[in-house]
Amino acid sequence: MNKLLLFLLISTTFLQQDPGKIIARQGQVSFFSYTPVENIKAENNQVLSIIDLSDNKIAVQILMSAFIFEKALMREHFNESYIESDIYPKATFEGTIIDFDPTLEGEQTRIVKGNFTMHGATKELEIKIKIQKQRQKFMVSGSFEAEVQDYNIKIPPLLKGNIAKIISVDFKFEYEAYES
Amino acid sequence: MKAKRLYFFLVLAFMVSSVKAQDLLDILDKERKDTLRYAEATFKFSRISFGHSVQTRKDGTLDVFITNRFWNTPADRSQSFFVDRLSTRFALEYGVSDRLMFGVGGTTFDGRFDSFLKYKLVKQRVDGNGSPFSLSLFQNASYFSESLSGSRYDAISSGRFSFTTQLLVAKKITPKFSLQVSPTFIHRGLVYGPEDPQNHFAVGFGGRYKLGAHVSFVSEYYYVANPLKSIDTYGPFSIGVNWELSDVMLQFMLTNAVSTVEDAFIAQTRNNFNFKNPNLNFGFNFTYTFHLKNKLKRKK
Repeated sequence: MNKLLLFLLISTTFLQQDPGKIIARQGQVSFFSYTPVENIKAENNQVLSIIDLSDNKIAVQILMSAFIFEKALMREHFNESYIESDIYPKATFEGTIIDFDPTLEGEQTRIVKGNFTMHGATKELEIKIKIQKQRQKFMVSGSFEAEVQDYNIKIPPLLKGNIAKIISVDFKFEYEAYES
Repeated sequence: MKAKRLYFFLVLAFMVSSVKAQDLLDILDKERKDTLRYAEATFKFSRISFGHSVQTRKDGTLDVFITNRFWNTPADRSQSFFVDRLSTRFALEYGVSDRLMFGVGGTTFDGRFDSFLKYKLVKQRVDGNGSPFSLSLFQNASYFSESLSGSRYDAISSGRFSFTTQLLVAKKITPKFSLQVSPTFIHRGLVYGPEDPQNHFAVGFGGRYKLGAHVSFVSEYYYVANPLKSIDTYGPFSIGVNWELSDVMLQFMLTNAVSTVEDAFIAQTRNNFNFKNPNLNFGFNFTYTFHLKNKLKRKK
């Protein structure tokens, strides 16, 4: 009886690993702030993301200093004065893709639910994503909006007009099989 | 006994599955091994207050840099509006690359024209594997254009050139606090008296403390090891505030240094730092930064 149980447990843990994990090493995240005074755009092409296909859990890690801006000074201000990347070098997302079926070929639209942590503040997000599967490659893309206020980012009164209250964020990840 | 063992296996199985769920972010942390992280913005600007900081400007940025010093003369009554004296240096300073910076400027009060090159040789690393400090090399040349009494100066124009070489060593100790030590060598062109040295050795000390995200408190002092003998000189000292607003950098300071060119303010500051006129100067620097290169476009 015990041996059977042990066998079952071991086999289930091995079976769980079977679908494996997929990873995106050069994920793209960009954000935009549109105001009448100034448009600010930044791009980061080194975002990491991983999906565990056994339980549809997803994690994203964004290195804040890897964002590139149109103006060199914007990047410095972003890291030094707003996001404080010396103290908070990364933003992370941990969540679950609801009803995601990794075996389905082609396109599927799903909701991902989880916690986004940036600048030391965590916020629960629900993001609509588009998943496209072609052979063994997965493409995930989507966008969401982040309120500056929610992440304890202080904007001096004189610059209120330069930075939008709501920042729109776009992302696009291309996953491949992960081998540890 | 059987029940105990069953329980143990269940706990074990649960632990295995929960560990699996948690370590997704840890896997990503392990993935990113090769990120070089340098200490950025040891100082926010190419100057601490009056002296150069270890910082160079980024590739393709042009600073229009206007330096003002205001002070009063000792006269009891004065008919000057606001202040008795004003000295202004207009300069253009350009980031040739992320490491190399070049600038030219001219000062109204003493007719000095100057030009400099600054190169960031070593960048401080924050992950503990590399250099624990930043190091920049600074070289300037200045030309004194004011007419001088005594005809012996006019004959040789080469005597009007002075040169300053600096080794700027700085460390961002915490995200808010940075310190700099700057060994300096100055060759002055003009000889005032036979006992005066033409070559001076000096060392500068500077620091900044960030009061907020955009405002920092700065202070600087230069010690000259072999000062001029024919006139009394004092080490230049300053306390000030740097305020950064988008593309504009505002610097406010109190200092005893009149000039804004290295050889003049380090070796030839004739007043000590106190509140008697005309010793104390109020300094106001304004910088507007133009970006001549779009970093997003260049990448594509």
